[in-house]
Amino acid sequence: MSMMRLPAALAVAALLAVGAAACGGDSDDDGATATQAAAGATTGGEGGGAGGPVSIVASVPPTDHGWLGAISKNAQAAADEFDDVDFRLLEAADADSQAQQIEQVISDRPDALVVLPQDGAALTPVAQRAEAAGIPVVNVDRLFTAPDAATATILGDNYQIGVLAADYIARRLDCRGNVVEIQGLAGISVTEERTRGFVDELRKACPDGGIDIVARQPGDFNPDTGLRVMETILQAQDRIDAVYTHDDDMAQGVVQAIRNAGRDDEMFLTGVGGSQDAMEQIKEGGLYEATFLYNPNMAASAVNMARLIALGEGFPELVPPEVPRQIIVPAATVTSENVEQYEQYAFN
Amino acid sequence: MTTSPASGPGTAAAPPSGGGRARRLSGVRLQEYALVLVVIALFVAGSILKPDSFPTWDNVRNMLTQASVVGVLAIGMTFVIATAGIDLSVGSMVAAAGMFGGVLVDPEGSTLLFVFGALAFATALGSINAIAVAYGRVVPFIATLAMFSIARGIALLLNDKLPVGLLELNGGSFGDPAPFSLMWFGTGRILGIPVSVYVFLGVVVAGWLVLNRTRYGRYVVAVGGNREAARIAGVPVRRTILSVYVLSGLLAGVAAVLLCARLGSASPVSGNLYELDAIGAVVIGGTSLAGGRATIVGTFLGVLTFALIFSLMTQLDLSTEVQQVVKGAIVLGAVLIQRPEARL
Repeated sequence: MSMMRLPAALAVAALLAVGAAACGGDSDDDGATATQAAAGATTGGEGGGAGGPVSIVASVPPTDHGWLGAISKNAQAAADEFDDVDFRLLEAADADSQAQQIEQVISDRPDALVVLPQDGAALTPVAQRAEAAGIPVVNVDRLFTAPDAATATILGDNYQIGVLAADYIARRLDCRGNVVEIQGLAGISVTEERTRGFVDELRKACPDGGIDIVARQPGDFNPDTGLRVMETILQAQDRIDAVYTHDDDMAQGVVQAIRNAGRDDEMFLTGVGGSQDAMEQIKEGGLYEATFLYNPNMAASAVNMARLIALGEGFPELVPPEVPRQIIVPAATVTSENVEQYEQYAFN
Repeated sequence: MTTSPASGPGTAAAPPSGGGRARRLSGVRLQEYALVLVVIALFVAGSILKPDSFPTWDNVRNMLTQASVVGVLAIGMTFVIATAGIDLSVGSMVAAAGMFGGVLVDPEGSTLLFVFGALAFATALGSINAIAVAYGRVVPFIATLAMFSIARGIALLLNDKLPVGLLELNGGSFGDPAPFSLMWFGTGRILGIPVSVYVFLGVVVAGWLVLNRTRYGRYVVAVGGNREAARIAGVPVRRTILSVYVLSGLLAGVAAVLLCARLGSASPVSGNLYELDAIGAVVIGGTSLAGGRATIVGTFLGVLTFALIFSLMTQLDLSTEVQQVVKGAIVLGAVLIQRPEARL
């Protein structure tokens, strides 16, 4: 009982509670599994033992995007914290080469693998092979499609991002106005969830309607595509009150289109992610009013989890040796009122 | 308007005793007219479906501004394809050129330095393509596919994967940028027409003159039509092939300036797959992928076709999946109705 008074314990409990709650509103197959112990948690880690050095390999997609860059930096920083971790970060150009890379890594027999797959479905088989070979896999952000492909999973909540954005925009517009949505890449789960959460929550927040989504187009997470799409939408719509964009980097192109057209007093805009540029603009005030933090710190947590699993230690404040099977990191609304508090997480 | 091998500007007016050659020439002309109809049809469709926002001067100006980036690339691509080549690297070169110019002027610099840096760097990258194809005898598809990867990598390396802000270069700002600031090239206007549109139209006119009114233009088409015959006729084949890839690189630099000047920054992930739009515009314009037949006017109309399709479908807020089907269908239709070989 005394252990449960520790703030850390509360933090973990809160994390799990939010995870379970978010899962409930999600179509996720695993449902509320946050408190379920992982069966295979201790199968790996032969090289570990109590306190011995452990080798961890992290595999990530090309980090040509602000958020993914922050993911790899945070993973490296987390590993550097520990003297007993021998860490290697691998960057793959595409799903195929990522699979080949992991295949190679399996033969090196590291004590744990951290994988942010380029494409969850495509990399599920190779993750299953790693698990079968006794190497525990920690899955980050993009889900594998089979439960036996990972010992533990940590991911952000894209549905909740849509929900928070809808709440913010509905309140700000008092349920009256025209909204434009600039999506990410069409046809991937991140984009679909961010849209679904937004639409569902708008319906709840404004039961009598009043907010029209007058345009919804993908900007592919690229600033230049965001620019082109927004330039054209500005032609078609003579009254826009708010713009919900799916990404801070892409939003910079959208911002530019609005300013080039001289219409920045007419509307406000929100982003997603938590980039330095976005946070600076939120602080300055004006067009960019809010972003929804999709914290790349989850990569650091993933490395910590991999280390604990490899050492067979279980999680602090949870009864060892079990580790939670899934942790969902909550999103957060960042506005001019609380931006100082979140700046430490900003990435560039 | 068009050029086919060994047919100078005078040939078109000559009596049709030239047989196959003359028929092919008239075929190209028919294609151009057919594409004019496609452009008009798209504009009329937009005017009916979006009467308040589509047929306005503001929207036309916006479409031409947007078309300027891929348009400039497509003119370079026309020369490359005329020699039976291809350049898959133009989108990546746009990103690399912008980033190179951006790094040069960060934190201190001038618009002139940025423009010079972007043009020089893109030309250098294009020269590598040129040497690989003309002297290394690497298949154009492979040489430029390699550059597609190299240039993208360089774009990411130049500033540690981060974009470079260029907004304030030489007094640039939103709305009404100072003349000759970088933003002026993207959003400034002279007599109501955006500077980027002047640049685009200037490149089109220059491209037309070079391809149709110079000996060099005839060389380009001759090399694509029949390389051996061209060599025997005394055409400097290698130097001609070399030149078109250098030109394509230079124009990728121009496109980079026009894009960065609108975006207010250089982004290492910009220009993604622009080569496909450029190649698409060239091919629906009537230039033959097999080489030996090229039309700048056709390419110009092809670029307008793509710009109209994008604007119309985005303004109608069609979903992505519907857009893809409709765009593909319009492109296929545009090519089918103008095929001289098709027996309708």
